[in-house]
Amino acid sequence: MIRFDRVVKRYGTSVAVDHLSLEIKSGETVILVGPSGCGKTTSLKMINRLIEPTEGTISIDDRDTRTYDVNDLRRSIGYVIQQVGLFPHQTVADNIATVPRLLGWTKQRTQARVEELLDLIALPASDYAKRLPAELSGGERQRVGVARALGADPNILLMDEPFGAIDPIARERLQNELLRLQSVVRKTIVFVTHDIDEAVKLGDRVALLSRGGVLEQFTTPEELLAHPQSAFVTGFLGEGPLVRRLALIPIAEVELTAHNGAAPETSVDLDGTLRDALDAVLRSPDGRARVINGGETVGIVDADVIRAASMRSR
Amino acid sequence: MSVFQYISDNWDLIGPQIVTHLEIVAECVAITSVIGLALGIAAARSEPLSTVIMAITSTILTVPSFALFGLLSIWFGVANPPVIIGLILYGLLPVTRNTRAGIKTVDPAVVESARGMGMNPRQVLLKVELPLAVPIILGGIRQATVMIVAIATVGAAVGVNDLGQTILSAINRSTGTIDAVLAGIIPVAAIGILADLILAGIQRALSRGRVSVAAT
Repeated sequence: MIRFDRVVKRYGTSVAVDHLSLEIKSGETVILVGPSGCGKTTSLKMINRLIEPTEGTISIDDRDTRTYDVNDLRRSIGYVIQQVGLFPHQTVADNIATVPRLLGWTKQRTQARVEELLDLIALPASDYAKRLPAELSGGERQRVGVARALGADPNILLMDEPFGAIDPIARERLQNELLRLQSVVRKTIVFVTHDIDEAVKLGDRVALLSRGGVLEQFTTPEELLAHPQSAFVTGFLGEGPLVRRLALIPIAEVELTAHNGAAPETSVDLDGTLRDALDAVLRSPDGRARVINGGETVGIVDADVIRAASMRSR
Repeated sequence: MSVFQYISDNWDLIGPQIVTHLEIVAECVAITSVIGLALGIAAARSEPLSTVIMAITSTILTVPSFALFGLLSIWFGVANPPVIIGLILYGLLPVTRNTRAGIKTVDPAVVESARGMGMNPRQVLLKVELPLAVPIILGGIRQATVMIVAIATVGAAVGVNDLGQTILSAINRSTGTIDAVLAGIIPVAAIGILADLILAGIQRALSRGRVSVAAT
């Protein structure tokens, strides 16, 4: 658990973070999101003390981070940045082994860990272990950056706009991979982004900050989209928050119309979200789509079904 | 090829001069590299210190070698000591300047990720900054080496028995001057070129992966 208790960061007279208090539970993914200058990156870097707070306390599992040796603290927290920052003179394997080596792990243990992590990020060790960062694609570099951050199996992972510099298609793949990874490793993740769609997709909870480091709202993505608490939040969410929210509702949780005979042409997979369903409905000539699960039609979805589901989950 | 004839005729003089020349160059390059590295690291860490260090090392290089060796021989006597000290001072600028530049050009994101993973300042320097700066630092050492090989000849004026002696004595002769001067110059040039090639080879070998990999 990470707790911010009335944390302030001032640079001269300008306030970057203003009395921020929030609590991040173990094993959850919290997204810090907001426009530039909202203090989200500053807040993140105060957790591993790359930036020291001016006032207030940050504690991890009820222990003030200032009572740790700063390097011991950082070695126990994974850190991923947008520019990745892989060591260009070291192989992928050596990069991933950085923190284990700092901690003095044995060669065998380090090597086993490196192979395990390469496996986890789906880059085969036989092909990738000996490569230099220059021999990787942007997306592969970022995955190695995540593997390196997980090197010594930290409980906490800090990610500072990790996918910000990556093209949209690769970014979506990396986001999905992070969700898959997180379902396996269950870390406490603090993730900074300026992209509300990314925040809503990846976060268990989203902390929306406004300029000067003021916490506007801290809640689940569903709640944020359904009930924005201030004009600032509404403005930041932008157009069509309800349509966006559809992407958070799995079709499997929706009450479908029974399937009786006349099956519509278009179909959507049961694994998808209501947003996929809406897409199928819009494509369909008669405004209805079959929901299929392993080739079986399990029900029918149409505009009324989607609307009802959307209303209900509000 | 009367130059080579001349060298072989005077081998008992020129042979030992080549050895002395090589010894002085090796010693000066080693020491100036160590001091220059330390000064360069200090200069990379502190901007005010950098201004002072760069001003001093640049100024040294503007003093004519003949004058510097003469001045140093007041305190350090004649022959090798003042020349070795003078050559070390001359070598400082390229090594210091390149060490500083090499460290400064390391991608800030790489340094930040190193710190963020819990490397202390010494580990960041030794495991990240210096290894990445190696090609640029070696470039400075190459420049210093070539310069020291050439300027060492002036040491003959204060009594060093290196290849400068052959050149110096040739200049004072009335006949056969060209062959005698070339007999000094050609080995000096050969040492300079050879040392540069060896260092260039090392530089290439150590540059693996150091091409700046931009993050995007």
